[in-house]
Formats: sequence, structure tokens, C-alpha cells
Amino acid sequence: MSEAMKADSHGGTVPAGQGGLKGLPIDQLRRGFPAIFLVILVIVFTIMSPRFLSLDNLSTVLEQGTVLLVAALGGTFVIMSASIDISVGSILAVSALVAALTADTLGALAIIPAVAVGAMCGCFNGLLLAVGKVPSFVATLGTMVVYRGVVLYFTRGAPVDIKNDQFLDAYSSISFGIPHTVMIGLALAVMAWAIFKFTVFGREVLAIGGGERVSILTGIAVTRVKILMFTLLGALCGMAGLLQGARTLAATSQLGLGLELDVIASVVVGGTPLTGGLGSITNTFLGVLIITLLQNGMNMAGVDPYLQNIIKGLVLITAVFINIDRKKIGIIK
Amino acid sequence: MTLVAAGLGKRFGQTIAASNISITLRTGRVHAVVGENGAGKSTVLRMLGGAVRPDSGEMTLDGAPYVPQSTFDATQKGVALVHQEITINRSLSVAENIFIGDLRLHAGPLGVLKRKQMAVAAQASLDRIGVKISVTAKIERLNLGELKCIEIARAISSDPNTLLLDESTAYLDHREVDAVLHVIRELKSTGMAIGFVSHHLSEVLAAADDLTILKDGQFVGSYGAASVKQNEIHRLMVGRDVLHGIYPPRSPSLASAAAPALSVKKAAVGRELNEISLEVRHGEILGLAGLKGAGAEALFAGIVGDQPLRHGHLQLEGKDYHPSNPRAAWRHGIAHLPGDRGNEGLIVLQSVLDNLVMARPPAVGPFFSMARARAMSDHLIKLIGIRTESGAASCQSLSGGNMQKVVVGKCLAVDPSLLLMNNPTRGVDVGAREEIYRIMRQKASEGLAILLSSEDMPELIGMADRLAVLRRGVVVHEFDSLENVKEHDIVQYMI
Repeated sequence: MSEAMKADSHGGTVPAGQGGLKGLPIDQLRRGFPAIFLVILVIVFTIMSPRFLSLDNLSTVLEQGTVLLVAALGGTFVIMSASIDISVGSILAVSALVAALTADTLGALAIIPAVAVGAMCGCFNGLLLAVGKVPSFVATLGTMVVYRGVVLYFTRGAPVDIKNDQFLDAYSSISFGIPHTVMIGLALAVMAWAIFKFTVFGREVLAIGGGERVSILTGIAVTRVKILMFTLLGALCGMAGLLQGARTLAATSQLGLGLELDVIASVVVGGTPLTGGLGSITNTFLGVLIITLLQNGMNMAGVDPYLQNIIKGLVLITAVFINIDRKKIGIIK
Repeated sequence: MTLVAAGLGKRFGQTIAASNISITLRTGRVHAVVGENGAGKSTVLRMLGGAVRPDSGEMTLDGAPYVPQSTFDATQKGVALVHQEITINRSLSVAENIFIGDLRLHAGPLGVLKRKQMAVAAQASLDRIGVKISVTAKIERLNLGELKCIEIARAISSDPNTLLLDESTAYLDHREVDAVLHVIRELKSTGMAIGFVSHHLSEVLAAADDLTILKDGQFVGSYGAASVKQNEIHRLMVGRDVLHGIYPPRSPSLASAAAPALSVKKAAVGRELNEISLEVRHGEILGLAGLKGAGAEALFAGIVGDQPLRHGHLQLEGKDYHPSNPRAAWRHGIAHLPGDRGNEGLIVLQSVLDNLVMARPPAVGPFFSMARARAMSDHLIKLIGIRTESGAASCQSLSGGNMQKVVVGKCLAVDPSLLLMNNPTRGVDVGAREEIYRIMRQKASEGLAILLSSEDMPELIGMADRLAVLRRGVVVHEFDSLENVKEHDIVQYMI
């Protein structure tokens, strides 16, 4: 019987083993996919709209992309561990509401309740799947509706304006020609990159994505890491909600609708497969640039707004088609 | 009907699974392929049956070229393969399981199954192989031997001339084995050519007319079963003087005086393990023998806290020990090498280094220390002789044996006081085995306590200082020394 085991376990490595020789160009192509795609996008949109490559527009892109970047940083951890979170947009809306409600009294310090509530929402997601063993897709599908429902319940659908000057100064003005949101986004990106690259937590997330059962049996505190990672994502969505509120000067029940698509698309287009075990923050950074440029470029080039979602969805499917490890496809949790 | 294969070769990544193997299957004869674990038996059979495509060599069927593209293609050409794993779907009926590959044959124009017609045909298949299983039987009531017979019935329902059975008796107890052997004889008498893989010599001799012996993927020879004696076959299979084999010499036994590392007292785990008491001391390797499901896996799961103890308790270094989860076990100095390398032991996607330091990543506060991890991994790569370009190489680039060495390294990286090993050399080539055995012996002589559960009898005899035989969740016999113990001495307690 051991021979069959051997054959099987080797079976798994055969394509990879060959990948070292024959498959190399494909592997490289996959790795280079985000960068190549980015270059193609820039060329196409520059041809379609000369203003696309202007400094003005590029700084708009950065500003537009910040909210997505902040949420996608957290999404990267979750997706690298082979889980998924589709409640990100709803968490963003909850946090934006909390920021709007507390900004009048707390000013810039409204960041504390906003991020804390985001972290709590994420932590609850983490508990559901790590302790309650509800698959993350279903758990966050449920909480997506719940969190959005909470916002609707409290606002009754009406926007809550943010008028506090201190708050707006801190989160939506410009210093040295750079919008504060962009500075915050980049700082958080560096932080997430460092967490991933230099901490034991970052390695554990990857290990869980690479093999959850292996990780459990090797003594990794899988439950704790999962809760922590969803809490981190929640906190980052909280921050994204704050920035979004500061941009739109109000919290509405519609904030962050469809964000989950953009987050997943950014992470996956950047080259982190949904099957987990691989990926990096720099990949996600590229992915966010691609998704934001795509959106911005389509607007600049005057693509029919009703066509844009179709294109975005197709880009996501293409990226998954190219990236996903089909041997592991059954275990996306 | 004659199936002739000449010069078959197959490589999996770095490992040569089979090279230059020739075999001839003839009508009305049972041809057994024998060899040690990892000799390439299954690979050869799977090549004949279309499940694996050979890299080299030629096959002919009654003189015509035979190049099966898949098992389905092979079946169409009259060669049916029964896989080693039980592939019965428990939510389907017996008849549906037999015709699962060809349900359309028994369906009306709208795709509605004609159950009666199918049941009759299924019963005919079962009767033809001479087993007393009714198509109306509930699948969950059948034992493994009966399930195996259903798979054989499935294979012959396509009316093949040649039947290939891949280690069909691996998980069966002796009565179930007898039933399968009976079926084999029955089919042989109808003129079928049968290829048969097993590493149980007594079975082979009971059923085979011809023998092909393989060793380390190489062809040793083909013989008439009547013309060679069992010990001769054994010598050819092992291919070396058994006394000075691949097992390192035992160190003079200090162990009997040493303190117990782990005491298991009347422990019961899950459904498999009923009540077991054992003691493993520092510096010794305690072997665990038993059929699959006899309790060794459950015992390991209990010790590492992967499954709770139903009752009984454990003592580690003389102190009460309550494993709550694998994490706690590792913290208590228990390392665990699981039996399923691909799913439980190794993260194949990641690098050698990532895997080696996984159980206890070197860290300063929350920060991972790459410098210390590199030193650790370089040390382990050298210690265990892992053949890799560097620690940064992906485990995907390694051979099966070297992958397993990485898992061994992961265990040793935490400097454990107790090491649990479940079939550590399953699917591992001989060279890597020797190195794993060497490091096991070396660590034991330094005081490590090792619990070695294995299905490989020679390995248990060669490596264990003491041996406990498990059957149905209890210890049925203990050997205090394995000098002069023969395989069948152990096996008689297992079944």
C-alpha cells in the first residue's frame, strides 16, 4: 500500500517538479502578471485619454485608491490563510457611522471608537469561523448583511453628516501637497508589510494557508491566529471607514457597498491565490493600483458606467483563472 | 490473451519509481508482483492499467501495441484495474456502486435508472466471482473484504480479459484476505489473466502462479511460483544480507534503567483505542505493531491532544499530563510525525526552511529572526542529510524521501524529549530510509524516547528496542527484545 501512497504524494509534486524545467515560463508569467497587466492598462488608457497620465490624475488615483488599499491590506492576510471575508464593506459602513457620530465630541480622536468597532466586527467574524467552525464565506456573508443592517437600523437610511473641523483637518486635508488619507494609507501599507514580513504571526498566516491540518498538528495556535487576523482586517476596515467618511463628509448606509469585490479583486489580481499559502503585501499594493487605475481609466476614457462592472468582474475572473491552485480548490474555507 | 510489457520506466520528480521492468501476464494465470515498500509494485500495475503513463518501454496486448491513455481506455481494451484504496461510495447501493462508471447502460431514455434490471446484472457479477453478497445488502453493513469484492465485481462487469489488483489485501484481516484470494482463484479458473500486487509473501505464495520481483524500482526477475522458496524470494526482494541491513546497530541497552518519558495508563481514545497501558523510556524506541485501526493512530491522537482521552491518563516525565491540543503537546516537548505526509506533515508549497522552523520559529518578541532560522535550518539539513539546494528551496522540488526528512527535521528542531512517529518511511526510498533510521538511533542514544508505529514489519524488527502489538484497541502482546523475532511471530498477534 505504501507505494500507492508514494505515487499519490508524488502525484502532487509532479507538475511542480516539471515546473522547474518545462513550466518555468508559465510560473514566471504568473508572477509577472500583475506588473504586465498594470503596464498594459496604463498604455491602453493613455492612448484612450491623454489626460490619464497627468500628475493631477495620478494623485486623484492615489486618493481614490486609499480606502481600498487599507481594506485590501487586511484582506491579504485573510486570503493568504485560505479564508475569505466578504463583510468588509459593511464593517466600513459601521465604522464610518461610528466616526460620524463621535466626531463632534471627540474630534480627531473619533479614530479610536471607529477602529475599535471595526476590530470588534472583525473579531466576531473570526470567532464565528475559528471557534464556531462556520466556513468563512458563509459566516461573513451573514455578518455582511447584519452589519449593514445595523447601520440602516440606526440611521434609518439617512446620512449622518461630519462637520467637525478638527476631524476633517486630520483626515481629509492636504499637507506638503499630499492628502492625509494617502499618507495614512501608505503608512498602514508599510506596517502591514512589516507584520507580514518580520513577525511570527505573518509566517503563521501563511502556514495556515499552506496547510491548515499541518499547522494544527505542528502546534500553531490556529484558532488564535485566525481570530487575530480577522480582527486585524476589521480594524483596517474601521480605518478605511473613517477615511471614507472624511472624504464624503458624511456616513451613509451605502458606504462601502461592493467593496468586497474590489478587495478580493485587488488581492487576487495582485497575485495572491484564493487557495492561500502564497502572496505578499507588495502584490496587493500592485493589485490595488490595477483595480483603481482600471476604474479611473474607464471613467476618464468615458466607458459606459453600466459596462464598467462587467469589465471589473471579468478582470477578477481572469485573475482567479490564472492564479488559483486547482489541486487545492476544494478547500477554500 | 497475453499482456506483455517490456522495459517500462517511470519517474516521479526526482524519484525513479520504476526502471526497465518487464512483465508478462497470461490467460488463466495469476501473476504476483512482489517487493518491499517503495519497490515500485503499484507503479508497475498502474502503468499496465492505464492509471500512470510510462516514460519509457512498450506494452502489447496479444501482439498488438497497447498504449492505454487512461484507466477507462484500458478497460475498453479489456484490462481492468482495481485500485488499492477502497473507492466504494457509501451513499449508493451495491448495484449502483458496481455500475457507477456506466450507469447510462441501465437508464431509460429520460435518464431514469432501471433499478431492477441493474440489480439483476449486479447480482450476476457478484455471483460470477463467487461471493455471497446480495445486491440488496446495505453498504454500511459490509466489511472491508466484502467492499473489496464489490470493487472486483465492478471491474469484471466490463468483461475484461485481464484483471489487475493493486494491493487489494492491504487493509483486510485474514478472513477477508481469504475471501479475496478465493475470488482470485475463481476468476483464474474462468481463464482471466490476473496481475496482483502485495507485500505479504504468504498471500502471494497462496495465490500466484508466476512471480515478478522488484527492488528499489528495478526489475530483479520473473519466476514460476513453484520454483522459488519463500526465503529465496525474501532475499531477492531485500537484495542484501538481512543481518547487515539498513538498520543501524542497537546501542547497548541503557534504556531499561532510564526513567520513563511517557506513561500511558488505561487510556481510551475515540472508537479505536479501548484501554491501553504503555511506558516508553528515555533512550529507547518502542515499536507499535497492529493492523490499520488497531489503535496506534488513536493513541498518537490522544497523546498530542488532537482527540480527547475518553478515560485513563497520561504521565510525562513522571508528572500528570493533560494534552488539550497539539500546541500544548509540542510545548511539553512532544514532537509528532504524522502518517500522512502530504496533508498532515509537510506544507509542500513552502520552503524547506519554513517547514523546518515551523514548530518553533526563532523569534525576538513577536518578530521572526531570519538569521537564527537560517542557522537552525542549515544545521538540520546537514544533520539529517536533506538533499536540497538550500533552505530557501521549495519542498516541491524534493523527492519523497527528502520531504520526509524535512518532517523529521521539523520534529527534531524543537529538541523534543518524546518523538511520535507514524510510518516514518512510508513511500520513502531506501537511501532516505537509512538516513532516517540513522538519525532515529542517534537521537535515541542521546536520550530521546521514540514511539514508532509502523506497518512495515522489518522496520519494527530492525528499529524497535521493545515492541507492543495492538489489536482492536488493546495491547495483546509485548516483546521485550526483538532479537530473533520473526515477522510472523508478530503478525500472529495482530490478526
